[in-house]
Amino acid sequence: MTRVVVTGLGIVSSLALDREGTWSAMLEGRDGLGPLTRLHLPSEPAQIAGQVPLGPLRHQTLCERMALLALEEALDGFQPGGDPARIGVFQGAGTSGLPTVEAYLEERLAGRRGRAAQPAYQSPCTVTDALARRLGAEGPRSTIMNACSSSLLALGQAWERLATGELDLAVAGGAEGLCRTTYAGFSCLKAVDARKCRPFSRDRAGLNLGEAAVQLLLEPLDRAMARGATIYAEVLGYGASMDAHHPTAPHPEGEGAARALAMALRVGGMEASSVDLVSAHGTATPANDGAECLAIRRALGSAADAVSVTSTKSQFGHTLGVAGAMGAATTILALRDQVVSPTLRLEDPDPICDLDCTPLVAKERRLRAALVNAFAFGGNNVSLLLARWGGA
Amino acid sequence: MTLPGDLVISGLGLVLPCGDGVEAARASLASGAPCFADLPETLGQGRGAACTSFNPTGIIPPMQLRRLDRASRFAWVAAHQAFQDAGLDPKAGTQGGGDRIAVAVGTMTGGSEAGEAFMRPYLQRGPEGASPLLFPSTVANAASGHLALAFGLKGPSATFVDREGATVTALEQAARWLRTGFADAALVIGTDGLFPLLLDICRGARLLDRHGDPEVGSGRGFLPGEGAQAFLLETRARVEARGTQPRATLRALVGRSAAGSDVEARAKALAQAVDQTSGEGRPVRWIGGSSGLERLDALETRLAANHPDWPAPCFPKPLWGEFGGSGGQLLAAALLEPSDLTLVTAPASSGTQFALCLDGVRLKQS
Repeated sequence: MTRVVVTGLGIVSSLALDREGTWSAMLEGRDGLGPLTRLHLPSEPAQIAGQVPLGPLRHQTLCERMALLALEEALDGFQPGGDPARIGVFQGAGTSGLPTVEAYLEERLAGRRGRAAQPAYQSPCTVTDALARRLGAEGPRSTIMNACSSSLLALGQAWERLATGELDLAVAGGAEGLCRTTYAGFSCLKAVDARKCRPFSRDRAGLNLGEAAVQLLLEPLDRAMARGATIYAEVLGYGASMDAHHPTAPHPEGEGAARALAMALRVGGMEASSVDLVSAHGTATPANDGAECLAIRRALGSAADAVSVTSTKSQFGHTLGVAGAMGAATTILALRDQVVSPTLRLEDPDPICDLDCTPLVAKERRLRAALVNAFAFGGNNVSLLLARWGGA
Repeated sequence: MTLPGDLVISGLGLVLPCGDGVEAARASLASGAPCFADLPETLGQGRGAACTSFNPTGIIPPMQLRRLDRASRFAWVAAHQAFQDAGLDPKAGTQGGGDRIAVAVGTMTGGSEAGEAFMRPYLQRGPEGASPLLFPSTVANAASGHLALAFGLKGPSATFVDREGATVTALEQAARWLRTGFADAALVIGTDGLFPLLLDICRGARLLDRHGDPEVGSGRGFLPGEGAQAFLLETRARVEARGTQPRATLRALVGRSAAGSDVEARAKALAQAVDQTSGEGRPVRWIGGSSGLERLDALETRLAANHPDWPAPCFPKPLWGEFGGSGGQLLAAALLEPSDLTLVTAPASSGTQFALCLDGVRLKQS
C-alpha cells in the first residue's frame, strides 16, 4: 500500500474564511454560532446557526463559492500537473442543491412559473464538477450523500484510490449551506436546541445547524516529498459500518459505530493505545453523545481512558455533509500543533460521557494519532484514522 | 479500475416499469415496446414510465411499507429478489450473515420525493405542517438505511448521486470494498422514484420529449422512469462455495471524466473509458445509455461511428425511461441475454463517463 499524506487544507467556516483564522479562534475558545439570518423562519423556536459570512454569487451557489474558496486555500498556489486522469475529486454532500429546489417549489406554490433550469442543473455534484474544472481533473469523480457522514467517507474514498496507487492527487471534502428542509426537519424531530448546543453535557438538548466548506489535498507520500510539499498529517485508513438498528437513532450501545472505529484501527494497522485523540461526531443530541462515548470505549478498551475527545459542533454547529471533513481538518491541525481544541459549554458533563471530552479550554498534549467520527441517519458510521506527520 | 477477475454478479433483482422480476424485464426488452403512459396525478403531470404493477405484498411488512418512499420500496423488493436469486439469506447467518455485506446505492431522486412531501406543507403552513415521520426519508441515503434494517446488513454503505452514472459509481465502490477486504459481498442498488416536482422541473427545463415517444438521436429529450435494480457482487469462490452459479463476471469497469462538460470533452472521456476496456475484445452485445437527450446521445453516436464492426447498441432508456441515477437499468439489460462479452457504456451529462465489460453472461431460473 502507498502511504498517503495530506498536503493541503482549506477551511471556510463561521469562525473565519480561512484555515488558520478558524483554528486560532477555536483554540481561543470562540464559537461561530450566532443569530439565524440566512433563512427567514420566524416560527422556528431555534434562531441560532453557524453562518458563513458569504452569500451566493450570480453564477455560483453558496456551496460552490465556499468549496472553491476552500480549494484555493488547500492548493496554496500549487498548480497540479501530470496526468489529469490521475487526479480525482471526491465530495460529500448533505443538502447541497436543496436551496434551489426549495426556492423553485415556493415559486410554484405561489402560482408563479419559477426558473426550473436552476434545480434541474444545480444538483449536489455541481460542486464536484466545479472543483474538477478548477483542477483540470479527468480522473474519478464522485459525490456521496450519506447525510452527516458524507464527506468523511469521501476522504476514505480518496485515501483508498491513492493507497492502491490509482491516483497521484485527490481533493476530498464537502460544502454545506443552510436550507429550510433541514432546519424544519431537525426542528420537528425536536433535535434542535434553542440555545447554543452543549455536546456531552448532562443537559444537552440537541444540535445547532451550521455552514462550512472543507477541502483536503491528498497525495502519495513519495510525490509529496519529491515536490517539497508541506505535509500536515498522514491518512492511515478508515472504517465504515451500518447499524442495521433504526432509521434515525444510533444503536444505544454504539455497536455499529464501534465497529467502524475498530475497522479504521485494523485497516491502519494501529493499536488503540497509540490513539490520543478522537474528534467525535458529538452532535449534542441526547441519543448520539452517550452512544458515541460507549462506542469509543468499546473500540479502544482501556485505552479510552487516556484519549482526549472533542466536538467541533460546539464551535460550528452541525455542518451535516461537511461535518466529517471539518472534524478531519481540525484534527489534522491538532496533530500538527499538539493541542486539542475545546468542547465549548461543557460545564456539567453527562456521567455516561465519562471520557476526557476537553471541556471549555484547549489542551496541549502529545498527539500521535487520532480518529475522526461521523455518523448519519440510516445508521451509517465512518471513522478515519490520521497520524501526526513527523517525517518519513 | 483493474478488477481481479473473480468478481461476479451472483444475484439480480429488478423492479421496472414493465413489471417486477427478471422475466418481465426480459419480455419487455425482447418486445421493444416502450412503457410510457400518462402518469397518475400523484406522480406528476405528463407521460412517464411508472412501476404501476409494483407489488411488495409478502416482502415489505405493511407497517413499514407506509413509511417508505418509492425509491426505498423499490430498492427493498429488488434487493429481496437479488438475495433470493443468489441463494443467500443474510439473516440466516450463512457465510457470515449480513455482518460483512456492504450496500452501495446510486440514485438521483432518493430522498427528493419525501423532500417535496415534507416541504410543501411546511412552506404552506409553517412548522405545524412539518412531519417528523417524513423528514428521515428526505435524505438520499434513506434506502440504504432501510435495506440495512430489512436484511441485517452491517458492512460499509455509500449512496452516490452522480447523475446518470450514480449506480455505476456505486458498483465501482462496491468492487473496491470487495477487493480491499472491507466486505465479503456488496448489494449494489440503483433506485429512483417519480414524484410531481421532478416532472415539473424536467418539463420547465425543457428536458422532456413532448412527443411522448423518446427516440435516440432525435434530440427531443427523454421521458422519466422509475424503478430499482439490485445486483449482488461477490467473489466467484464465495458463490461457488454456496453451490450456486453467478450470472456474469465483472471483467472491467473504467470511468473517465472530462474537465469540462461540453459534448466533445465528454465524448472523448467515454471513448477513453471504452478504450481501456477494449483489451477484453470486440463486444458481442452493447448496451448504451442514450435516452433521447442530445447531450447523452451524441456520445454514443460518435462511439458507434468509430466502431462500425460492433453490434448495434441496445438502448433500454427509450423503453423504461430515464431514472436519473440510472446506469442500473443498463447493467440490468446487460444481464438479460446470454453473451460471452457484453459492453455497457454509461454516458453522463457531466462527471464520469463509464464503460464496463461483463463476461460469461448466463441466464438462470429465478
